[in-house]
Amino acid sequence: MLEIREIDVFRGDIQILWSVSLAARNGKITALLGSNAAGKTTLLMAISGLLKPVRGSICLKGRPIEREPVHKIVEMGVSMVPEGRRLFPEMSVLENLELGAFTRKARETKNQMIEEIFGIFPILNLRKVQVAGTLSGGEQQMLAIGRALMSRPKLLLIDELSSGLAPVILQSLSETIQRINIARGLTIFIVEQNVLMTLEVADYGYILENGRIVGEGESGTLLQSDQVKNAYLGTGEA
Amino acid sequence: MVQVIVYGIITGAFYGLAAIGLSLVFGVMKHLNIAHGSFLMIGGFAAFWLFDLFKLDPFLSIPFVMIILFVLGAVLYRGLFSRLDKLPEGLKINNSMLVGFGLTWIIDNLAVLFWTSDVRAVAPSYTGKVWNVLPGLRLPIVGIVITGIALLVIFSLYLVLTRTYFGKSVRAAAQDRDAANLMGINVERTYLIFFALSSALAGIAGVVAAVNYSVHPTVGFEWLLKAIVILVLAGFGKIGQVFAAGLVLGIVEGISVYFVGATYREVVGLILFILVLLRRSG
Repeated sequence: MLEIREIDVFRGDIQILWSVSLAARNGKITALLGSNAAGKTTLLMAISGLLKPVRGSICLKGRPIEREPVHKIVEMGVSMVPEGRRLFPEMSVLENLELGAFTRKARETKNQMIEEIFGIFPILNLRKVQVAGTLSGGEQQMLAIGRALMSRPKLLLIDELSSGLAPVILQSLSETIQRINIARGLTIFIVEQNVLMTLEVADYGYILENGRIVGEGESGTLLQSDQVKNAYLGTGEA
Repeated sequence: MVQVIVYGIITGAFYGLAAIGLSLVFGVMKHLNIAHGSFLMIGGFAAFWLFDLFKLDPFLSIPFVMIILFVLGAVLYRGLFSRLDKLPEGLKINNSMLVGFGLTWIIDNLAVLFWTSDVRAVAPSYTGKVWNVLPGLRLPIVGIVITGIALLVIFSLYLVLTRTYFGKSVRAAAQDRDAANLMGINVERTYLIFFALSSALAGIAGVVAAVNYSVHPTVGFEWLLKAIVILVLAGFGKIGQVFAAGLVLGIVEGISVYFVGATYREVVGLILFILVLLRRSG
């Protein structure tokens, strides 16, 4: 679905990503793990087109997208749940969802999708006329996911699902993500600091450190690897 | 006294029309377009020439004037203002003011060059006609039409911004530009159309001004000052408030003319402006 080859990405004059290559396979959940400031968000911005790589290529179903403008990439089927959710705070839940279906194709199935989203997150239905800025953190994250699904994406990018959420809510949200992945065959690329939670959900994982990929593998294998144990789980031998 | 308030409302409706485009562009895009007054002036002259050359009724000329200003706004946005869009908010406001000042200079002087500095007014047959509603209460026909246009504009804008995908994309982009972009909104194009639309609104105000008052090449700056006073009174980006502030300014000015004389009309408006600034900062 998604194939990234040796991209270098800058923010201003500072190089953040160094020759990063990775792939997200069709219908699978792929995770990118790393600590703060490893370059995870930068990578997602490069995929969605908000940042342009200086070198390397990003292909969606074999088609290079690294030079396309953001709105075109959305039309090609990439949707993002951005870090910090980035809802439209002064607009209602319903309006936020409607904006998720902004692309011409998505508008045709707008009402049907809103029903589906309300099916996944019934609480949003109760809150539909409420202004998004007044929702709780968990509800906001649900709305951000719902909004991203409205465009019927082929690839869903999720940036820090866990940020600012209570463990219980996070647990149920990550289960929801898994269900969406299975029910819709939706390819998901998730970027996280919370290694344990993410590897439970994901099929495959990459580890990003200081802008470079330093490890990869099936989730089960990664969980057992010394690299992950030492660096993130604190269960390895010192 | 009632008569004074009636005239105040008509003046206020015009002020609201004059300020709405400026306010929307500032609220949504953070461009303070100083050239907005000059856009009004062009609208006024367009109405004048359409009337003078083709005997086109000024109110019927509004669609044509809107198209002219829409195109002008689109070209100027694409060529000049869009280049400022990537700047952080404060810098964007400052730089857009500089660009606007430059444009005002150029547009106003071109107007002198082409149209001379004569004062022009559009005077169709019904100018000065009044409707005697009650003894002592007279409504000028032109004033009724102007107030009607103002109400129509505010209502249509409200519908566009809350009911259409275009309006929603504008509001979304104003709240979070990158997030709007991630929804598949082509923010650059949305901004272009929105800027052009706001220019077209300046065109409507210009036509109204040419009928109710008069136009000359440097009149734009006077109207711009009114619009900025209203912008400060109203806060940013809320259409209803802009019209309310326009009405307040119009009525306050009218009453001050009644009590202290026309000489101090501008002064009273500016005192109001300073009072609001003091309150806001305090």
